[in-house]
Parts: sequence; structure tokens; C-alpha cells
Amino acid sequence: MLAQKWELSNGGKTYVFHLRPNVKFHNGQTMTAEDVKYSVERVLDPKSASPWRSWFDTIEEIKVVDPLTVQMNLNAPYPGLLGSFAGMRASGIVPKGLAERENLKIKAIGTGPFKLVEYVPQDHITYARHPDYWDQPLPYLDGMTFKILTEETARVAALRAGQIQYAYVNAQDAQQLSGVPGIKVLKNLVASVTLQYINVSKKPLSDWRVRKALRMAVDTNEVIQKAVFGAAVPSGPIPSGYGDWYLDPKTLPYVKPDIEGAKKLLAEAGYPGGGFKIEIKCSPQYPAFVATALVVQDSVKKLGVDAQVVQQEWGAFVADNATVVKSGGKEGGEIFTSGNSFRPDPDGYIYPYFHTRGSVNYGQYSNPKLDPLMQQARSIFNHDQRRSLYIQIQRTLLDESPNWWWYVPYNFEATSTRVQGYSQSFTGRRFLLKRAWLGS
Amino acid sequence: MRYLLRRLLWMGAALLGVSALIFILVRLLPGNIIDIIAGTEGQLSRSQRLEILHSFGLDRPWPVQYALWVWSMLHGNFGWSFRTSQPVAGLLVSRLPTTVELAALTVALVTLVGLPLGILASITRSARLKLAVQIVGLLGLSIPNFWIAIVLIIVASFAFHWLPALIFVPPWQDPWVNLQQMFLPILSLALGLAAVVVRMTRSSMLEVLGQEYVKVARAKGLGSRVVLLRHALRNALIPIVTVLGLQMGFLLGGVVITEQIFGLPGLGWTLLNGVYQRDYPVVQGAVMLFAITFVVTNLIVDLIYTTLDPRIRYE
Repeated sequence: MLAQKWELSNGGKTYVFHLRPNVKFHNGQTMTAEDVKYSVERVLDPKSASPWRSWFDTIEEIKVVDPLTVQMNLNAPYPGLLGSFAGMRASGIVPKGLAERENLKIKAIGTGPFKLVEYVPQDHITYARHPDYWDQPLPYLDGMTFKILTEETARVAALRAGQIQYAYVNAQDAQQLSGVPGIKVLKNLVASVTLQYINVSKKPLSDWRVRKALRMAVDTNEVIQKAVFGAAVPSGPIPSGYGDWYLDPKTLPYVKPDIEGAKKLLAEAGYPGGGFKIEIKCSPQYPAFVATALVVQDSVKKLGVDAQVVQQEWGAFVADNATVVKSGGKEGGEIFTSGNSFRPDPDGYIYPYFHTRGSVNYGQYSNPKLDPLMQQARSIFNHDQRRSLYIQIQRTLLDESPNWWWYVPYNFEATSTRVQGYSQSFTGRRFLLKRAWLGS
Repeated sequence: MRYLLRRLLWMGAALLGVSALIFILVRLLPGNIIDIIAGTEGQLSRSQRLEILHSFGLDRPWPVQYALWVWSMLHGNFGWSFRTSQPVAGLLVSRLPTTVELAALTVALVTLVGLPLGILASITRSARLKLAVQIVGLLGLSIPNFWIAIVLIIVASFAFHWLPALIFVPPWQDPWVNLQQMFLPILSLALGLAAVVVRMTRSSMLEVLGQEYVKVARAKGLGSRVVLLRHALRNALIPIVTVLGLQMGFLLGGVVITEQIFGLPGLGWTLLNGVYQRDYPVVQGAVMLFAITFVVTNLIVDLIYTTLDPRIRYE
């Protein structure tokens, strides 16, 4: 919290932030409003080409009122802005002019609890305690080293052998590790919904009845069982567990398969007995996504639909995915298995994907009834009103199935029992390491 | 001398061919650095994409990009990594020692184990020993080394509760820790390669031992050790040295998965990561480095032939 308080005025179009005094950067410099202006403008500058620019692009102008006061003028009211600053993607504050002096791809100076000492790609990242961190006495650790070990077996072995005190593990290994003396396994839901983007511009998937029928044929719990060994919760568009914006998993439609209903709907759409082919893309980089695609393939067979699962190397997969978005659905593919990870505001799971002018709309999905609702939901400040709008939008989306949403997985982290004070975050980031310490 | 000159010219031609091939191949891979940066979640507008393309020089026509790359390489500049903006030459040079150490120690271990075992297998009369060597050889050849690597990690940590320090320590900082870190990777690589060398040594030795001059040497009354090592082995060595040389070349470029599993920051993993990231300068630079080491190793092997067998002369 680098801002101590903030005020909203002008109908939600003007934010004034009062900065915490005497916040020190890792290089000893004191943070001022100039640094804030510089950092945010850098994200907004198209030349920086930040993939997270859209989180901030309602900001039209940033003014330095005095060294500890920043005013931001928006082109439209946007209640998600505070979330964007808390989103830890592009919201770090750096000293003015840093990007011009340093290679920020491997170096960093910020205000956080740990300062970056060294980053050796493919080997390790070393942090040291920031002695002037504003939130004293945090952090407790003198430093941390992250060893880059992509091989799961090697991570688990290193943890068992005591060479590391913390590891990110999958559901299977979490099961094996729980009960091992000296190791504890942490588990919590993370804001990341596994889903399939559908290119809705081409037949037969352009017909919502076809999309819905195929979705109805799949058993969500089977997907969860096979993809992440049961360690997940069914989810709608906004991840289950995300504030109070999500649909209660108990009320979600089609968690259980409904083959008869699906057949009827397909017949209505003009495909009695199926008889068409679809193609589902996924990348073996994420085994859970492949398993999800395979369950879908198997399930829609019951409707007479021949689904082909195409596994692609990640780079090829994202390239095809980008082609769909860029070409408005004309090229690239039909169905993409992926995930939407943490967004600072519920808007991030909805508007960019389903608004007619959304920036990542797969194949020009457009619902004239939903558009104004989505526009309204991202510009009003009354929580209850916003919430009921998002609930209503999600229900309609589930009905029209422009995406197939499956589940929110549990995140497993294993630590040595010596690690104390650490807790997981719903964001899936590890920022609470600042509260961790090592016992004996 | 003339031969050497001709060889060097051919090496240059081969390297030029490799450079053109890798330049085109990386660009034919679907997806580029921008797709990777954006992933499926980031949102980049068309103008942002063009801006990044331009900043990497990827908006120029291919022939221009290629010419610029080759030209700067001739001046010792391998370009800058797209992902980290570090100079590629510096990056590769910092990664080279790990890979060279891994390759050299593996070949050393393979030679120390494979050669004596192969000789033993060729002269023994024990049917059991022959069978044992053959079985070990077959297993070594058929088991992929990444599988052995994972099994070794599991055995070390579960059975012995031992694993070396994870952050890589170069040998000049602490040779003992470095050797511990290299132990499992070398073992996983050496098992398969030693099998090849054992089989090669055995068959090569058997062939030579059946030759007339070996009988003559024995008939002269020379000791069996002298016959074996001075007469037989020296002549049997040529195919073995060829195999070892090829293995060295293979190890210098082919330890990608081993490096990844053990988290060793070597050239192989750097290359693989470059491919995943579509970091063209890194991929191109690493492949050129592999190509250079490969042709140089081959040259050295060919030159060793002449000292092993003076009959071999290059004109």
C-alpha cells in the first residue's frame, strides 16, 4: 500500500492518491509522485507494449499535485482501477527514468520487501531483504533464492533432501508428500478458471444451441477427476471463490451431464444425431488442459460428434490463438483449451471476451442485450448493483456458452516444516513470503 | 598443410549452410516472441505488436535480417536476446563451461569404464562375463538417459536422502561441490554411452585379435600385455576414437534434457528455452556454436587418426 488514502470525485472519473511518506526504493532513493507518474505512464506508452496496458487504459492524464499527491483523470468512470493497481502485473512503482538507464528484463528496483540481487535466466533468482521496507519489521527473511527447476521430480527430491524449503507441486505429488515428516503441504483455491475459448464465427459452433448441447454432454466432475485428480471446484466465468462475484458452484448448470437434453437441443439446431466434426486445441505444456480436452472429446461422442484433439507446442498454440483474435475468427482454429488467471476486477473475465468491442473476443461474439449490461457493470460503483449485474451476465453467458468453463483448481505448495508464517494467496502469487520466517 | 587449408574452407562453407538453415527454420516455427509474451491472456493491440516487431528488427525482410546477422557475427557480435536483452555471445560463453565440463567428464568416464570392460570382454573365456557385458550393453543402449536421470534423482533422494546443492557452482569456485553436482548428470549420460563403447571395443578388438600380425607378435614370444595393448588395441582404437569423437559432439549439443532435469544452466537448456521463447538470436547463436564445436571436433578426430595409424595420410 504505497498510497495511504485516496479520493474519488467527478463521478468516478478523478482519483487522487495520497502517497505514504518516506517510502524508500531499493537504491535508497525516496519515492515521490514523480516516480508514480513515470511508472504508470510507462505502462500506458504504446512503445512499452505492455500486455497489461488494458488494465490501465481508462487513465487519460496523470498530474503531480505535490511530491506526495498524484491525480489521475480517467476518460470514463472505472471501478476496477484500484484493483488494477493491486494486481501485481504492471503496477510496480520504479524510480523515474529507470527504464532508460537499466535493462529491466533482468534488473529491478522497486519498493517491495525484497530487492533483486541477481537473475540468471534458467538458473536462479536471488533476493535480499530490503532493510528500509516501509512495512517494518517485515520482511523477516534475510533473503531468498529461487532455483529454476522445471522438472517436478527434481523439485520434490530437492525438498525431501532438504536442499530447498519451498516448492510448487502438482496434485499428485501433493498427495504423496502429505504425511512425509518435515514437510507440510499447503492447499488453496486460486483465481484461475480452466476453460475453452470457442471461435463462435463458424458453423456449427456459431449456433449457441450446438455449443450448449456439447457442454451439456460433459460431466464436469469427470473433467476435474481426470485433469487435476479431483483437486478443483466447478466454476462459471468468474472463478469460484472470487470475492462475492462468482456463481455458487452448487447452482451452476450442467455440472452433471444431460445427454438426452443435449441430443434434443442438437436436433433443434438442425443436427439430429450429431454428424459433424470439431477440433479442440491444447498444449502438452499444461497436462491438465490436455486431459480436459480428452474428456470433452470422449463425452461428445455420445452425441455423434467427432471431436479431434490437436496437441500443439505452447508457442504454436498461442500463435493460433492470437490468429483467431486478430482475424476475427476467420483463421486459427475452433476451440482452445486454456485458463484465465487472476484479474484484479471481475470485469477482466467478462468485458474483453464477450463485449462486441472486446479486445480478445473469439470470433466476434456479440449479444446486443449483454453489451449494455457489461458496459454498465464496468462503470458503476455501487457494489450490490454491480454484483447483481455480473450474476445476470454470467447466467446468460452460461446459457449461450461462448466459452466452456470447467473448474478452478487448488494450488499446492509444499514447504519444509521450518517455514513459518507463510500463507497462500487466492491470486496464486507468492507475495506473502514477506511474512515467512525459518524456524529451527 | 594444403589438406588443412581445404578442410578449413569446407568448414566455412558448412557453417554458412548451417547459418542459413537455422535462420530460416526458427522463422518457420509457428508463433513468434510477441505471441509468447502475450500468451493467451495478455492483450496486445495491432499497433503494439508492430511496435515490438520493429524494436526487434523483425519487420525487415528476411534477406536483410540474415545479411545483418551474418555480417555482425563475422565481427564477433551474435546479437541480443529478445527475452533478456543480454548480448547473446556473453550469454553463450557463460553457459559454455557447464556443457563442456559435462561433456568432457562424461567422455572421460565412458572411456575409463568402457574401454577396459570392452577389452576384458574380448579376451575373457568366461561365458558368464561375456553374457553380463552383453546384457549391460543392451540395457545401456535401450534405456533413454532422461529416464535414468529421473530414476537416479529418486534413488538419491529417497534411498540416500542426498542431493547436491542446487545453485550451480562452477568448478573454479568450489571443485568439490561442483563435482557433486555433476555426479548424477554424468552418470545418467555415461551409462548409455559406455554401453556403445564397450560393444565397439569388444567387436573391434575381436577383429584385430584374429589378424595374422597378432599371431606373429605372439609367435615372436612377446608378452600378452604388450601384444594386447601395443599391437592389438592401437589398431582397434580407430573406430573407438571415431565413436568417442561423435559422442563428444553429440554431448556438446545433445544434453538438452539432462541439463533441464538437473537444472544445470548449460548450452542445451539455453537453446531449448530459446526455442520455447522464440528467442531467435539465442537459438541462432547457440546452433552456430554447436556447429562450430562439431566441425572442430571432427577435424581433431581426423587429425588423431594420423598419429594412431601412420599409414593414414591426408593429401
